[in-house]
Amino acid sequence: MIDKSILEIHEALKNGVITSEKLVGESLNKSREIQEKYNAFVTIVDDAKGIDVTDSLVSGIPFGVKDNFSTKDILTTGSSNTLNNYVPIFNATAVEKLLNAGAVITNKTVLDEFGLGGTGTTGHTGVVKNPWDRIRMCAGSSSGSACAVAAGVYPFALGSDTGDSVRKPAAYCGIVGYKPTYGMISRFGLFPFASSLDHVGVLTRNVEDAAIVTDIMKGKDPHDMTSWDSSNIHLKEALTGNVKDKKLFYIKELCDINNYNNPSKELVDHLENFHKTLELCKELGIEISEESVDQKILDAIDSVYLIIACAEATSNLSNLTSIIYGPRSDKKNINEMMIDYRTKGFSPLIKRRLVIGSYVLQKENQERYFKNAQKLRRLIVDIMKEFFKTYDGLILPVGIGPAKHLDGSLDKVSSDTVALDEHLQIGNFGGFPSITIPNGFINNLPVGINITGNCFEDENVLNLAYVLESKMPYKNQIAKEVN
Amino acid sequence: MKKQIAVIGLEMHCEMKSNSKVFSSAANSYNETPNSNIQLLDMAFPGTLPVVNKKCVKDALKVSLALNCSQPEYMYFDRKNYYYPDLPKGYQITQMDSPVGVNGKIEIEVNDKLIPVLIHDVHLEEDTASLDHYFDTSTIDYNRCGVPLLELVTEPCLHSAEEAVAFINHIIQMYRYMDVSDADTKRGQVRCDVNVSIMDEDAKEFGTRVEVKNVNSISGVQDVINYEIKRQAELKEQGRYSEVEQETRRWNEETMTTIRMRSKVDAIDYKYFVEPNIPKYRITKEWLEEIKSEIPKLHLERKYNYIETLGLSNYDAGVLVKNKDISDYFEECIKIGIDAKMASNWITTSIMGYLNNEEIEIKDFYINPNRLKDLIDAINNGTISNKQAKEIFNKVLETKKEVKDFLSSDNAQISDEDTLISLIDNILANNQSQIDDYHNGKTNLFDYFVGQVMKETRGKANPVLTKEILNKKLNS
Amino acid sequence: MSKFTKEMVDSYANKLLFNLTEEENQMVLDEFEVIDETIDLINKIDGIDKLEPMTHALDAFVVDLREDIAEESIELKGALRNAGAVEGREIEVPKVVE
Repeated sequence: MIDKSILEIHEALKNGVITSEKLVGESLNKSREIQEKYNAFVTIVDDAKGIDVTDSLVSGIPFGVKDNFSTKDILTTGSSNTLNNYVPIFNATAVEKLLNAGAVITNKTVLDEFGLGGTGTTGHTGVVKNPWDRIRMCAGSSSGSACAVAAGVYPFALGSDTGDSVRKPAAYCGIVGYKPTYGMISRFGLFPFASSLDHVGVLTRNVEDAAIVTDIMKGKDPHDMTSWDSSNIHLKEALTGNVKDKKLFYIKELCDINNYNNPSKELVDHLENFHKTLELCKELGIEISEESVDQKILDAIDSVYLIIACAEATSNLSNLTSIIYGPRSDKKNINEMMIDYRTKGFSPLIKRRLVIGSYVLQKENQERYFKNAQKLRRLIVDIMKEFFKTYDGLILPVGIGPAKHLDGSLDKVSSDTVALDEHLQIGNFGGFPSITIPNGFINNLPVGINITGNCFEDENVLNLAYVLESKMPYKNQIAKEVN
Repeated sequence: MKKQIAVIGLEMHCEMKSNSKVFSSAANSYNETPNSNIQLLDMAFPGTLPVVNKKCVKDALKVSLALNCSQPEYMYFDRKNYYYPDLPKGYQITQMDSPVGVNGKIEIEVNDKLIPVLIHDVHLEEDTASLDHYFDTSTIDYNRCGVPLLELVTEPCLHSAEEAVAFINHIIQMYRYMDVSDADTKRGQVRCDVNVSIMDEDAKEFGTRVEVKNVNSISGVQDVINYEIKRQAELKEQGRYSEVEQETRRWNEETMTTIRMRSKVDAIDYKYFVEPNIPKYRITKEWLEEIKSEIPKLHLERKYNYIETLGLSNYDAGVLVKNKDISDYFEECIKIGIDAKMASNWITTSIMGYLNNEEIEIKDFYINPNRLKDLIDAINNGTISNKQAKEIFNKVLETKKEVKDFLSSDNAQISDEDTLISLIDNILANNQSQIDDYHNGKTNLFDYFVGQVMKETRGKANPVLTKEILNKKLNS
Repeated sequence: MSKFTKEMVDSYANKLLFNLTEEENQMVLDEFEVIDETIDLINKIDGIDKLEPMTHALDAFVVDLREDIAEESIELKGALRNAGAVEGREIEVPKVVE
């Protein structure tokens, strides 16, 4: 029962077909099994208890929480050795709202340390493996959440998304990953990575579940000045199935196979599959157009992201000194104590990112790097907003194919990074609502497409995804190992 | 050596008054018990976010307006990044890019002369935690962490310790008048960084600037400036001016010297950037107008008004405006019709004396302007003498009764004309020889008769009336 | 000669309160080169200099400032429970030299 949709489980709970207690037990057992195979969790909440079922759709239903959401009295590490013993005294707002609605946390999921990374390999508890194929990655940083939802541990898990951290793993794991408009869900209690790019998101196995969970989590929070009142937005109700006269566009430079030198077989298949999905859209009455964006701008997306994200991260992780929390070293000099703690606590990737962030913020460098990156961010967002005057959304393939292999997965910045692999960051630049849904298989491994719309147009974006999902056979799929 | 002039700039940090801290809802009140005024943000627990206190923004704008600064269209903040154990987030939220006020100008009074002071900027930020040091450990109390601070930065436009001190006192007065800060130096609410350089009188360019950080008292500022001017001038005189470096120094109160902390090349790069967690907040014209209307008349304006319009002495006016509540009391007195000089005399002597002795505020003072008016009216219409007024003043305070309660009783002055006439007739009848002497030219005997009347009435005869009647009887 | 040096990278790391291994240092240097090249490309994009840096995710925030109401302090026990050393009501650290 635990691998069903929220509505199905809710029905079963209401009708007494199953109890919450039993569901929680099922989720915990499944968690242990998944942990053995894929290493998706930092903590399994062994003493999680069932709860009386109410009219709230998530009441009594287990869920997972990415380990960078503060959970009261439950270890919360950010998948970092710097916080490997930190037990918060408060719940993140998103978590609190789900708990108040009666949902039950059964585990805390692994991420790339503090969300900086997209491979699921840098968490302090080790590499997260893809539930379809253990030699491949889940991507990240919401690796454990995507893995667990795909494997059927529960119908939904919380993720956070700074570059593509919900939407990329969703594609690699064959599930739905949605991040709403910036500020629709409060970030209070989410460990910050890059505050101007960080979003709370959710991983589910169908679009409706994503709508249900977000309806509960969203809302203006007095603890987050960037959150806003969305009481007039009702995501689940907006899933009408009507997409007549809707218009989507895709970016030619990214989707034309002729733009790539020596494309891999996977890339060829991936883009072909994408164009097939576009045909499906047309059959559904959605108008599809091709638009062009300057290749120079597309190629710069990843650097813009890296510069802004690293800069903000440098500052956001400055609270990690082991003074108030975090395991202290035995050094008797305060400076040495902090240096020892940070040197041992941070993974090499984070340290490199922080050095970059620090460099681009230096007074003498700030104009050339950080400010220019912020300017290009504005340019990209302006270009998108111009498109959104005509279109309901941007539709693009996610990544350059199915999940990448874990060997050779080192998250290194390199000049041959293709824009196709990084375009989801546009959604974070503009705070746009953005959703990934599965749209097929390549080499028996799932791939996904993404729809991104204008700010505050979440209802529209979800409804488009909902309709498309209903015409493809991948809704509610559970990962099964193919190799 | 040519005559030297000093060039001084100040950075003045002042803790602001509010119920809650600037970015968290913990109480902003001094508390001896460590860690008793804290919220999650004050200890930088991961995931906590700043939420800006409206009152602090409003008060900062108030100060910005009062300093004749220009205000930005949008209010936002920057992060100042550095590591120190009293800074839990690893950055201070402050304003670098777009301070709440820039390019201001005010006039201050130094030795009864007005001089202009240029304000570079004023900005809103947060205070740090406080550290206590022991033998080989330090402890951290987060009560002060997040307390609103207003930092005011002047242009290098002051030229002596005296001017700097006058400026600080002026600003403290301003803050208190606007009720944005208690500016209590004893509780460390005012802290200054002082920039000092010297230059030849006719030089076009400033000399090398030395910054002295964290001076915690007004007398400290004075000492620092005098010390630095002397130190730099001596080096210059000895031909060693190149030894004056652009550097940051620290004031040692015990040795009364400044000590080098770091030179310019070691200056910390704070890697400022805009705080993304606080959206840009539009400051509307309407709000600014509203805030402006709430700024009270400030002390200097009041002082000149008292001197020029009300005819008070420079000294008295200065005493009256020292404390806004007292100045307000004085103005209330004027408003209800008390003569300015009378009111000023009473306030600066009897009332302030009483307040000092009893250590109470004028707000809690029993004799409000209306009661003072009753008393002064009684003097003016001759009901009581000044001496009696003082007595009644004390009795009213003692008994918490009204002035009139002491006018009608046996304590009151005898002002009834008929009573006094018959009394005087009696006295004159018994002193015929003195009357004769008086008429023969011993006019100073007039006082003798007044004395007799006073003796008879135990001092309660209305002196004005008494003299009037005696004059009539003796000289007509 | 690259404008990025090993010493420079170490000095940044040092200011960020951690140390880098030789290998990590080299990786940072490589990454700097890549970023630097991309920045050169960015700077060539038409009209980039005229744009206002985008500092927040949204431009259209409706902001309410917080009313000035103090809330009760968080519980001391919880506040201190993750700290490595506590003395009385305060967190203790090795002596901070001023």
